[in-house]
Amino acid sequence: MRVRADPVVVAGAVLTLALVATAALAPAIAPYDPRALGPPLAPPSGAHLLGTNDIGQDIASQVVWGARSAVTVSLGAALVAVVLGVAVGLGSALVGGAADTVAMRVLDVFLAVPQLPLLVLVAALAGPRQANLVVVIGLLRWPDIARQVRSQARSLRQRGWVSAARGFGGGLGHVARHHLLPALGPVVVTLAVTTVAQTLLVEAGLAFLGLADPTAVSWGLMVNRALRFPGIFFIDAWRWWLLPPGLAISLGVLGFMLLGVGLEPYANPRWRRRSP
Amino acid sequence: MPPRRRGHRGWRLAGGYLLTLAVLVHLNFLLPRLMPGDPVDALLDAQSPSYVQDGAARAELERYYGLDEPLTTQYGRYLAGLARGDLGSSIRYGRPVADLVAERLPWTVLLLGSSMLLAAAVGLALGVHSAWRRGSAADRGLLTLFLTVHNLPVFFVGALAVLVFSVELGWTPLGGTRTPFDDPANLLAAAADVGAHLALPAAVLASGLAASYYLTMRATMVGELGADYLVLGRAKGLSERRLKYRYAGRNSLLVVVTWSALRLEGLVTASVLVEVVFAYQGLGGLIFDAVSFRDYPVMQACFLVLTVLVLTANLLADLACGRLDPRTRA
Repeated sequence: MRVRADPVVVAGAVLTLALVATAALAPAIAPYDPRALGPPLAPPSGAHLLGTNDIGQDIASQVVWGARSAVTVSLGAALVAVVLGVAVGLGSALVGGAADTVAMRVLDVFLAVPQLPLLVLVAALAGPRQANLVVVIGLLRWPDIARQVRSQARSLRQRGWVSAARGFGGGLGHVARHHLLPALGPVVVTLAVTTVAQTLLVEAGLAFLGLADPTAVSWGLMVNRALRFPGIFFIDAWRWWLLPPGLAISLGVLGFMLLGVGLEPYANPRWRRRSP
Repeated sequence: MPPRRRGHRGWRLAGGYLLTLAVLVHLNFLLPRLMPGDPVDALLDAQSPSYVQDGAARAELERYYGLDEPLTTQYGRYLAGLARGDLGSSIRYGRPVADLVAERLPWTVLLLGSSMLLAAAVGLALGVHSAWRRGSAADRGLLTLFLTVHNLPVFFVGALAVLVFSVELGWTPLGGTRTPFDDPANLLAAAADVGAHLALPAAVLASGLAASYYLTMRATMVGELGADYLVLGRAKGLSERRLKYRYAGRNSLLVVVTWSALRLEGLVTASVLVEVVFAYQGLGGLIFDAVSFRDYPVMQACFLVLTVLVLTANLLADLACGRLDPRTRA
């Protein structure tokens, strides 16, 4: 397939797979329990590959376990957002009329709200458990998807084969399932991948503010803890304490982003002709 | 359809603005009351610094915050308070939230404003340049750079910036909004102090936004490049410079202005994180404090104030767009 030849897709796929594999195999990869205490602020050595933090927790193990919460929350939230976004976008495009207008007004409200202050409020009220974070982040991410799915579905609806299916007596549900969804597939996949990049950033941002599941290890929380350590920049510890979680977040986001950029031409055939 | 007069568009926009605002004011009231658990639960949470596990204390707290009254009474009091500019009282500071917000808001507006100007200047200029010479080494380099910057976690970039520019190079202060306990001799010295503290957070905040400006400008302008008016302009012998900025650039700017209003939401989000990294005494720093101390009235007030800020800016951008683009005036 031509998808595989694209270096952008390959780079994105490698980073993404590495992240997901780390998350899945965390207990096997991590050398220590990420919460176990040891010598504080130990520099990287054979015993602690990336050193330890102020209370002696192994940084390498924390980074490995952090992948698990990052993947769980960001994939979960993206799934919520995609399901909701596709449902609202498709439904709105197919039903039209007053329902469409109402849905679009709701979208406008969602798109105008500054998300982080709202997320902070909701996550703090509901308690920052992983399940809550998934639902809350997902609920704020669907409007973008709904808007794009709606505009694509509206243009698809005008095509001959959709009118033909309707003419043969196909109901709205039938048309949505058998004609629109398959045609929308590549668009939805691309949107889903870019959404994961965003939810990953949001999860890290919330954790950085201290809103992370207290029972899980999170990269954002690691950065937060490192920065709150007095004088972190004046000792060498920032090299092994601050850089690894920060780079992990960056690479994770970059992976999904590259995958999304690389898949774009396949979702949007108009671009394929233009690219060299 | 008969042609509508110009004023109508403004009224329609303002109507949508008020509707959205009304929805959010109600959301702000309902959210804490609809959620599983309530502020008192959270206050009594074992993780909260103000942890008390006592039924009598809980009842007392509920009475204190008026949570034992019927919802309609609470609702009436909320709206009446809001109309008077009363946002409740901070649990942590024991002061009216409105005062706290009034102290912090100007700093956030200063940070947001300066980084927007910086980002627009850098992002738009480089975007035009990149699109005009698309495919060149400079274009590819800029595109890769901005695509990367666009997706970096802003708090990590901020931490690295502190490390390089404040610790290693010593160019800027480590954080804060102004030098503490410092009594500047004159206004100029005070402004210099504020500027020195503002420079790095504004630059970090601007980097992400500049990337967005750059990417949008480049994409829009590449789409314009084949346009007939450019072919005609070139045939007339107009200078490259004129074609680049006055023709293609100006036409692409319209799309960018509309779009940049939508980006303001993301900028506010990033500013909260940046303010925390730089210990900047704006609303973002206040939100962070509120999270650490479970200070719900403060969180709600910050949400409301930032929402009003974003909505108002959106409305202004929509109205400005009407001035820029003669077609939307119809």
